[in-house]
Amino acid sequence: MSVLDAVRTEVGMRPGYRATAVGLRIGALSGVDTESLRFGFDCLVKDSEFDPLRLDVDAARGEELDIAWIEMEDGQ
Amino acid sequence: MTTVLVEKKVLNENAKIAAELRERFEDAHVVVVNLISAPGSGKTRLLERTLELLPKGTRAAVLTGDIQTEKDAERLARFGYPVRQITTGGTCHLDASMIRRHLEGWNLADLDFLFIENVGNLVCPSSYDLGEEAKIVLLSVTEGEEKPLKYPSIFFKSKLILITKTDLLPYVPFDLAKAKENARTINATADIVEVSCQTDAGLTRWLDWLQQRRASRLVSDAVV
Repeated sequence: MSVLDAVRTEVGMRPGYRATAVGLRIGALSGVDTESLRFGFDCLVKDSEFDPLRLDVDAARGEELDIAWIEMEDGQ
Repeated sequence: MTTVLVEKKVLNENAKIAAELRERFEDAHVVVVNLISAPGSGKTRLLERTLELLPKGTRAAVLTGDIQTEKDAERLARFGYPVRQITTGGTCHLDASMIRRHLEGWNLADLDFLFIENVGNLVCPSSYDLGEEAKIVLLSVTEGEEKPLKYPSIFFKSKLILITKTDLLPYVPFDLAKAKENARTINATADIVEVSCQTDAGLTRWLDWLQQRRASRLVSDAVV
């Protein structure tokens, strides 16, 4: 949900744009299982305001749990 | 197509609230510990013995988290210290906003210690900063000695690893030396204390550990 809140915030700052992909950085010591996160992400995105939205995950070595970037397109 | 660099923590909101809480705890000179373990490792039992053994005059309070029921708060309230139950209703961890909400009405300056008992879970609580001074992970001898390797995040982040239920060692195949070796592989600096809440073995060391944190807090606050 925090990821989608961030997408909503960033897109909200750019009227007319919609998000097409979000990039996360997840560290091995973050306590987050990437596949579980992906499953939850897909469930939340399906049939929502964000659908379709691609999730890209970069693996890191430490405790990172970051939203690195959001890709957007002009929806107009 | 436009790519916007965000570079923000996923748990940014939680981190902000946790930072506010940490500042409040430091200003009030209260030692706050976050007890984390798998369900059934002995968090509540440890807190029962701790509250019973704290020196007279110690000012302590407890926030205890569970998905459902107030059973843990009922157990802990018997010792005369302020106790509040945080019932998450489904969330598998406590977060900083829950802590902030449940502290309302308590004067932190009236406390020496605040014990936070997290929801029984070795995974999610590791990710949520509650503003605590120390995460403490419990591993019981009825679990496996490979747990530190399987759950490296919480063992890495903890300042103290408590190996609990040591009175059962003669009856279980738990390899204590291997468990400590595995813990050290993940965390070279955490203190490791073996305890039994049945025989009280190790509880003096645990209480001394708490008092040392209190003493360090008072010294560092005095220096500042």
